[in-house]
Amino acid sequence: MAQNDTLIKGWQPVIGLEVHVQLMTNTKLFSPAKNQFGEDANTLVDLIDLGLPGVLPVLNEGAMKQGIKFGLATNAKIAETMIFDRKNYFYPDLPKGYQITQLHYPIVRDGVVEVNGKKIRIHQAHLEEDAGKSIHDKYDDKSVIDLNRSGVPLLEIVSEPDIRSASEAVDYLKKIHQIITYLDISDGNMSQGSMRCDANVSIMKPEDKEFGVRAEIKNINSFKFVEKAINFEIRRQIKILEANEAVEQETRLYDSIKDETRSMRTKEFANDYRYFPCPDLVPTNISKEFIESVRKDMDELPEEKQQRFMSIYNLNEYDAGVICADKKIANFFEEVVKDADIQLAAKWIIGELNALLNKHDISLDESKIDATNFSELIQKITDNTISGKIAKEVLEEIWATGTKVSEVIDSKGMQQISDEGELENIIETILNENNNQVNAYRSGKDKLFGFFVGQVMKATQGKANPGLVNELLKKKLS
Amino acid sequence: MNFKELRGKFRAKKVSAKEAVESSLEKIKDDKLNIFINNFEKQALSNAEYIDNNFDDFKDKPLSGVPIAHKDIFCTEGLPTTCGSKMLENFIAPYDATVVKNCFDAGSIMVAKTNMDEFAMGSSNETSYFGAVSNPWNHNLVPGGSSGGAAACVSANLTTISTGTDTGGSIRQPAALCGITGLKPTYGLVSRWGMIAFCSSMDQAGPFSKDAFGCAALLDAMASYDEKDSTSTKRDNINFEKSLSKDFGSLNIGVIKNIEKLGISEDVINAYETSKTVLTGLGHKLIEVDFSELSSGICSYYVIAPAECSSNLSRFDGVKYGYRSEGEKDIANLYMNTRSDGFGDEVKKRILIGTHVLSAGFYDAYYLQAQKVRRMIKVKFEDFFKHVDLIFMPTTLDQAFEKNRKSDDPNRMYKEDLLTIPANLAGLPAISFPNGFKNNLPIGGQLIGKYFGEDLLLNTTNKIQEVTDWHKMTP
Amino acid sequence: MDKIELKNLLFLARINAKEEEYPEIIEKLKNTFGLIDEMQDLDLSDLEPLNNPLELSNVSREDKDKDRNEKKKFLDNSPEADEDYFNVPKIIE
Repeated sequence: MAQNDTLIKGWQPVIGLEVHVQLMTNTKLFSPAKNQFGEDANTLVDLIDLGLPGVLPVLNEGAMKQGIKFGLATNAKIAETMIFDRKNYFYPDLPKGYQITQLHYPIVRDGVVEVNGKKIRIHQAHLEEDAGKSIHDKYDDKSVIDLNRSGVPLLEIVSEPDIRSASEAVDYLKKIHQIITYLDISDGNMSQGSMRCDANVSIMKPEDKEFGVRAEIKNINSFKFVEKAINFEIRRQIKILEANEAVEQETRLYDSIKDETRSMRTKEFANDYRYFPCPDLVPTNISKEFIESVRKDMDELPEEKQQRFMSIYNLNEYDAGVICADKKIANFFEEVVKDADIQLAAKWIIGELNALLNKHDISLDESKIDATNFSELIQKITDNTISGKIAKEVLEEIWATGTKVSEVIDSKGMQQISDEGELENIIETILNENNNQVNAYRSGKDKLFGFFVGQVMKATQGKANPGLVNELLKKKLS
Repeated sequence: MNFKELRGKFRAKKVSAKEAVESSLEKIKDDKLNIFINNFEKQALSNAEYIDNNFDDFKDKPLSGVPIAHKDIFCTEGLPTTCGSKMLENFIAPYDATVVKNCFDAGSIMVAKTNMDEFAMGSSNETSYFGAVSNPWNHNLVPGGSSGGAAACVSANLTTISTGTDTGGSIRQPAALCGITGLKPTYGLVSRWGMIAFCSSMDQAGPFSKDAFGCAALLDAMASYDEKDSTSTKRDNINFEKSLSKDFGSLNIGVIKNIEKLGISEDVINAYETSKTVLTGLGHKLIEVDFSELSSGICSYYVIAPAECSSNLSRFDGVKYGYRSEGEKDIANLYMNTRSDGFGDEVKKRILIGTHVLSAGFYDAYYLQAQKVRRMIKVKFEDFFKHVDLIFMPTTLDQAFEKNRKSDDPNRMYKEDLLTIPANLAGLPAISFPNGFKNNLPIGGQLIGKYFGEDLLLNTTNKIQEVTDWHKMTP
Repeated sequence: MDKIELKNLLFLARINAKEEEYPEIIEKLKNTFGLIDEMQDLDLSDLEPLNNPLELSNVSREDKDKDRNEKKKFLDNSPEADEDYFNVPKIIE
């Protein structure tokens, strides 16, 4: 089972992830209050979310559909019957004193995702309610409670302990992120908490038959921290075991500022959640017809999109893969190529646009780039209005300001010079001023061709049509 | 005046809703039995006027113009809802229970909310934070519980109908002890929305009245499919009042074999035997059924009900509503002290039992085993109902008892529910009606029906009441 | 049940009791379990547990919101709140 390339100092890390995903629905899991982020405190609260005496939960069909979509996307088994349980514990932001979740009969089980060619199994994915928020910094002596998040539907995706390194954990998480955002199951926004991750980490010797004792690291809120937290935990456990001490099974918290995990064990007594079937909700049967209706409404998955892009846009596997990695980019591409050259658009999205997104570390919809404008940029290259080099400048400008491509070109006089007569005059002048180089070229120093091109570009501030310049220069120099 | 007469007078415009309400309120003000936790004179009078002013809209409704008292377990918007607990002493519910709304829509006027065992946990009404209720027949005795106030209210003629809830017998036992008729419907017939939960898988609201007629009309109003309650069941064309006059013919009625072995008092058995002759007199056939296995229901009930209640009552933590202990500096103490001061001893005891039976290591032996007993009882009833249409048995082991007597021996109090609990575990409908008197104290008999067989229960009880007078006795 | 077990149980249930009350509470609980334990003699291994008397399938509702902000009403009903939040003593993480 162990793979040697993931060993650290002879130890094999074994990792399982529990990913909590807030579902995109109009309403909460058991109440008709709006499911929305960023509203004023306690304004999205129904009688049910407040846990008033006498209120009862009614299951949101929308949340059920989202769970089924995830199951279908991971080739999992969708439950014929799912059962909600109560998980009992006291916390001020948990209004009922219990969370409704699914323990033994989750909506989804036995799924699988492929990460870098390796299959990582999903043990189960279950529906549950989110808690409210406790805020501790408003007053010195008090905490305050906001229940807007109370009852928001979550899908908790539990992997098998199939992951063997921190970087593989990140890749798995990115895969999950891709699936849920692709299928509009969740917006997957980690900084807003709509995707949160707990990691179960243990280490073992490659020859060991059984896994080591694991620690659970709670609530890691970025891809970067997932990697760091797991790596810290692996080093910590190695240190412990190599000192012949024992790793404790416990819950730990990752501190991103100190880059360390620390124990959360504080309570006098271990908690005992006293799960039992929620008597307000009888077992829910999920019919084949219902599952099929969900399947019909489902968007294509990344792999399906990639295949389609390869066949209808004639993209190679790599390009199609890069473009389809992010659904927003894939949709953007499809918009752009309605009017622009496909291969050129692909090249510019994969190269220049991606570079800008990475550099600024934002997603496409957070940028000022829109598909119509970007499409115009590509068209201006194709019709020789601007050169590729100028196009990069235009892209920088529209990235920064969002101005229309045509306006940028007009206002800065960036149009390409494609007038043969005008270019011939410029070339004549340059050849006359550089007699020595002309002679050298004609006597066989071919490499000087680039020099002449450079001079023309310099004289035209880069606006000369490079194809035409090549053609004319060759003619004049021969 | 009983329910039928009062409603008839309203419909004939001989008594206005306002007059009926005023008469009720007057009696309520004189109440010496501690039947009520709150009364709502102003709202009641204005609602009565509303109904009088819209006479035509209400005259054909099942409860037209009739004052009603609701058990204080049902949320009433803008009005106190205490559930008999200090925890909710000052709680104003921000919404109406479906039962409350249905009863208003059916033309009744709520005049008061009745006393009850705290969070419906008790069989004598002695666990109420607001004090015990006296039995109208003898003020030294308990009225039964947990809907003790509701039963006493109708028994003492303060209103002709009232609502109650029944988790382990909390309608039928006080009905028996107070000499009135009370019905626990099939689980799911009446919406639980707005009814403060004790044991969610057994709680069911139902009607009290002197007779089957009043219960039928009130159940017509209470029963409804409710999208807000996932355990509510759709039923078409419900009209229990109408079904009273239907002819169901000769029935096979199950009666208890070896009844003397169940620890039932002689007086109750005598009344039971008399009722059997009434049933045969009505043309029904009696078939003996073996009830002995059903007695383990009591074990099951005292695991499941506390388990669910321990979870249902976790929301009372002093954070969002209700009682909070004063001056707490940290959250741990806030929880501990709020719950310790806010709940009474019986509630705390059941929370502890429920917490224990759900905790790691005990779940299988207690909670799971109890749910299996529950299955066994359901299966047993299914077997019975292959051969019989109804099952007849006493409601209680004995008549009303003295205050403080059984609270000294909790198991004796718990065993009080022996004959009522099986119907709750299986979710079956059951009705208790007065079927005898001894020492000027009523005795109750109980019919248990098939799922959604309320029409037959009410019809059969009505037929019995046409030929007997027990339900006409007044304290 | 011993004192430690009771202490744990009280903590889980968030109920306070003084140590001197422990013996009485333990006695009461023992008494009730004496009644409950009568079911332990039944062999029910071949029976499925029954959680809810009506064995129907659960219903679900359409994903449509009810846009109603009752913040003020809810906060007014609470033991302690400011304009926006429910207030509790400081929670120490």
